[in-house]
Amino acid sequence: MREVIVFIEHTGEKPRRVALENATKAREIAGALGGGVHAVVLGKGAAAVAEQLKAYPIDKIHLAEDPEVDAFVIDPQVDYLEAVAKAAGPSLILVPYTMIGRDVGSRLAARLGAGVTADVVDLAASDGRMNCISPKLGGLTITTCTFKSEYGVAAIRPNSFKAVPGSGAGEVVQLAKPPGKTYAMKVEGEVVEAAGELGVEESSVVVSGGRGLGGPEPFKTILKDLADALGGAVGASRAAVDAGWIPHSHQVGQTGKTISPQLYIAVGISGAIQHKVGMRTSGTIVAINKDGSVPIGEFADLLVVGDAFQIVPELTKAIKSIAATHA
Amino acid sequence: MKILVTVKLVPDTNADKRIDPATKRLVRTGVETVLNPFDEYAIEAALQLKEKLGGDSTVTIVTMAPDTGKEVVRKALAMGADDAVLVSDPGCAGSDVYGTACALAAAIKKTGFDLVLCGTQSTDAITGELPGALAEFLGVPGLTYVRKFEVEGTTVKAERETDNGYLKVSVGLPALVSVTKSINEPRYPSLKGIMGAKKKTIAPLTLADLALDRPIGTAGAKTELISLADPPPRGKGKVVEVADAAEGARVIVEFLREKKLL
Repeated sequence: MREVIVFIEHTGEKPRRVALENATKAREIAGALGGGVHAVVLGKGAAAVAEQLKAYPIDKIHLAEDPEVDAFVIDPQVDYLEAVAKAAGPSLILVPYTMIGRDVGSRLAARLGAGVTADVVDLAASDGRMNCISPKLGGLTITTCTFKSEYGVAAIRPNSFKAVPGSGAGEVVQLAKPPGKTYAMKVEGEVVEAAGELGVEESSVVVSGGRGLGGPEPFKTILKDLADALGGAVGASRAAVDAGWIPHSHQVGQTGKTISPQLYIAVGISGAIQHKVGMRTSGTIVAINKDGSVPIGEFADLLVVGDAFQIVPELTKAIKSIAATHA
Repeated sequence: MKILVTVKLVPDTNADKRIDPATKRLVRTGVETVLNPFDEYAIEAALQLKEKLGGDSTVTIVTMAPDTGKEVVRKALAMGADDAVLVSDPGCAGSDVYGTACALAAAIKKTGFDLVLCGTQSTDAITGELPGALAEFLGVPGLTYVRKFEVEGTTVKAERETDNGYLKVSVGLPALVSVTKSINEPRYPSLKGIMGAKKKTIAPLTLADLALDRPIGTAGAKTELISLADPPPRGKGKVVEVADAAEGARVIVEFLREKKLL
C-alpha cells in the first residue's frame, strides 16, 4: 500500500476532531509509504468541512455534498470510499473507531478484501509493513498487527494522535456519484437527546459516575457541571447504566466504550475490572470515593477519600474561578 | 419468519485474565468460556420478536467455535432458541474478522434467513467490525447499534443510537440488525428451558459443507498478529483522605495543576 485515505466524519459543517487527528497522522504515514494523503468528506456540510481541511496536511480532498449520504445510513458512504480507494490503488484507509467509523470501515474492508484492525492507538510503517498497535482484552495486552492484503482499514481510537495544522496541496476534487446504486436503510428522522455534547469517546476530559451517586439526578447536575467546567463529557459505570440513571451511550467499560481521555475523573466508582478495562489507558485518572479501600485506588493517579456530593460542586467552583482569572 | 442470531464464545467477562509470557496466549486455566454478553441481548430480541409474531417463526443460533463450544451454545437454546448451527472445522482456526464473517455468511445463507440479529461487539476482541462485514458478505442492509426495533410486515423500523440521541431508520427484509444493551434485559434460562435444550439440535457444519470460494483461517486471514507486549504499568497513585469539601477540591486542583491539566 502507498496512499493513505482518511474518512472524515463530521457533524454538519464541523469535522470531528478524530478526523483531524487522523489526517495529521496520515501525513507521517504517507511520507513513509511514499504516497499522498487523501481525505474523503461526504454529505451535508461537506463543502464547508473541506474548506477547514485545507489547513491540514492533505494532498487531495475528495468531496460529495450528496443528499443521499444523509438520507440513508452508511451504504452511500461506503460506495464513495470504495470508488476513491479503487482510483487511488492499494492504500491504507483510516476511519475513526466510532459507531459510524466502525460500520463504514468494516463494510469497506469486506468489499475490498482488505484486512481491518480495530481500536488502533498507534500506527507505524516499518520494513514495508504497516503496523497497527491496539490494546486487546481490555488493555491486558498490546498487540501489533499488520495487513496481508493490498488494502488495509485501520479504525483509530479518538485521542490517539494530536491534530496539528500543516501544509498540503489541499486540492478539492468533486466526486462523481457511484453509478447504479440504490439504498435501503432510510433515515426517517433524527432525535437529539443531548445537544452539543461531545461523546465520551472523543472528549479529552471525561467525568464518570457510578453506583455511589445513588440516582439519576447527580449525572444531570453535579457531574454535568464539572464536565462543562472542564469542557468534557459525562460518563458512567455499568451499575449506573443498568439502574437506568443514564443512557448506555455514556457507559465506559467492557460492555460500554473503551476510551483514552487526557483526564478521567471517576466519582463514586469502585473500579471493578469491568470498568477498569474501559478507561485504564486514560492519561491521568482521578477518583473521588467515600471508601479508601476501593479497587480504583490501585490504579488511579489520585484517590480522594471524601464525600463526592460535597467535593464535586466545590471542585467545579474552583475550576470555574481559575478559568475566569485566565479569561 | 426465520430469525438467526450470531453468537461468539468468549472467556468469562468478569475473570481477571492474564497472558502467559512464554506462549503469548491467554491463560485459559480457571477462565470459563461463556456466551459473549453482548450476544445475549440479540438472543433476547429474537425471542421477543418470535413471541410477538407467533405462527411459525423460528430462532436459530449460528456460531463458529470448536466442537467443545456445544455446551455454551446450549445456554442460548435454554433461553428459548429453537436450534443452532455450529461451524466447526480445524480450518477455521486463526480466522480474523474477514474470515469469520465470510464463513458465518455462508452458514447463514445455507440455513436461510429473513432477519439476522447480532450483538454490537465481543468482549474479547472488541473490534465491533463483525456485523458490518457480515452484512456485506450476505449482501443485505446492515443496520447497527439499534436500541429499539419492531417488524411491520416486511419492514424493520428501528432506533439507531448516535452519540447524542438516535436516528429513526426503516429498512426492508431481509436485513441484518445489531442491537445494543439498551434494547432489553436478557432472560435467564428456566429449568424447563435447560432440560428442553438438551433435546434441541445443534447442526454441525464443516468448511467443506460451506463450499467457500476462498480460504479462511490463518491461510485466508487479511491481518497478521506480529507481537504482543505488556501494557505500560499503571501503579498505585496517591490516596488522600480529606476533612471537608474545600480540602478535597484543593487537593484535586493542585494535582491537576501539577499534571498541567489546568
